[in-house]
Amino acid sequence: MMGSSAVTQKGMSNMKQKFPGFVVVAMLVGIFGTSQIQANDLKDLFKGYLKNKIAPPVQEQPVTPATSEASAEKPAEQLLQALMGGNVSEQEEDRIGQQIAGNLLGAAPLVRDDGLQRYVNRVGRWVALQTERPDLNWHFGVIESDDLNAFAAPGGYIFLTKGLYQRLDSEAELAGVLGHEIGHVLRKHHLKLLQKSQGIAAIGGLLGRKLKNESEVLQNVIGNGAEVVARGLDKDAEYEADRIGVVLSARAGYDAYALPAVLAEIGHVAKNDTRVSLLFKTHPLPEDRLSHLSDAVTDALDALPEGQSGAGRFYRLR
Amino acid sequence: MNRVSQRVRSQVLLGVLGWHCLLLASSVFGMATPPQKTTQQVAIGSSAVMLKTDDLRASPDVKSPLLLRVEKGAQVRLLNSQSGWSQISNAGHTGWVRVLSVRKQGNEGIELSDLGELGKKPQGKVVAVAGTRGLDVQQLSLASYDPAEVERLRGYAVSRREAEQFAQAAGLHPREMSYFAAPNQ
Repeated sequence: MMGSSAVTQKGMSNMKQKFPGFVVVAMLVGIFGTSQIQANDLKDLFKGYLKNKIAPPVQEQPVTPATSEASAEKPAEQLLQALMGGNVSEQEEDRIGQQIAGNLLGAAPLVRDDGLQRYVNRVGRWVALQTERPDLNWHFGVIESDDLNAFAAPGGYIFLTKGLYQRLDSEAELAGVLGHEIGHVLRKHHLKLLQKSQGIAAIGGLLGRKLKNESEVLQNVIGNGAEVVARGLDKDAEYEADRIGVVLSARAGYDAYALPAVLAEIGHVAKNDTRVSLLFKTHPLPEDRLSHLSDAVTDALDALPEGQSGAGRFYRLR
Repeated sequence: MNRVSQRVRSQVLLGVLGWHCLLLASSVFGMATPPQKTTQQVAIGSSAVMLKTDDLRASPDVKSPLLLRVEKGAQVRLLNSQSGWSQISNAGHTGWVRVLSVRKQGNEGIELSDLGELGKKPQGKVVAVAGTRGLDVQQLSLASYDPAEVERLRGYAVSRREAEQFAQAAGLHPREMSYFAAPNQ
């Protein structure tokens, strides 16, 4: 639904670049004469031209999420101020996450397997229920990529690649991976990264002069496309997410050692394999993550009754 | 539990297979074969290192008898793993330590899945690389918002109630556990 209006707008702006508006109107008058219907069309066109002259339309934004319509000036201002002040509401966090998720899906769409996607959402939501943010709008998805990686965006948008999913052996391992990503959302790691970015201050400078629409502000905050997910967090954030992943697996009734098993598995992939290059660029190496977990866990899991592996339930991809 | 040990076993097996493939490849390319490779095939288990000092126990249970302490950094053989525990041999003793206390070494550089593919298709590796869909920084930067995919994603969302029903049917019982503090570096 956004598509068609965007196309028209785009067509118009292309025209405007080539001819000044009044020339276009004059040309159309010449071509069509003054029959009743066309006269009305021309009147609208002229009105549109005048309106644009007085208040130029905001620059066309190719990445426009479904929920943001025009008249989004207030949210835009609020969003910017929230980001600058560090007090982003849950709703705003969701908007940011949705924009990142939509961009990421633009690069790698969801695997076309309803059974798989539903399964991953059930497991993910169950793990997320064991946290202090159980009622976020949690979304989980497996995306088309042979890479081994997983991503989290603010607000509860979590993805893992098909390549990583195929490496997993059990539901507990899936829960561990999702638990790690859920950890990033709980501690707002990516949100904090965005708040620290230079872009915020630069866009903030525009506030006094001209407000942009919300999605434009959003995209400016996020940067190019889904590049934000390729920006590494600091190592401590990754170690923290690993610790959370282990705890959440345990809380959800799974084998708490499943995440370490996945890390060990990834550690066996050749370091120069292109399928792990982004993962290893943005995360500490698996052996360092295992050492860190080892130091953090100590004997905390000794008293825990053995959890489920859920290997029998694990949804296997062909 | 069996699955984990199965995996360890299959990795050991694949490791051995891997060396064979390397031997084959090196003979094809006329390279000299490093002498230590023969010992790799004979040794039991895999080479591993202790990440921290831990107690070696007679069975995979904290209440089982203590055999000896194994120091951090010690080179051991990793024989088996099961939930939470790894069976190792060290200084003539065989026993169990916590799975996170020991890390397997070596085998890096050999892609297990590639070895699997080699069996299926003669030039499996080449084909696989040509067909891969990676996610690099450039692709991610150029990506644009896909509203249809977001709608699809929304369609898969699961309610709290549905998740609880799923867990109940699966016999998954929530347990209490505090988050771990960051270890002192």
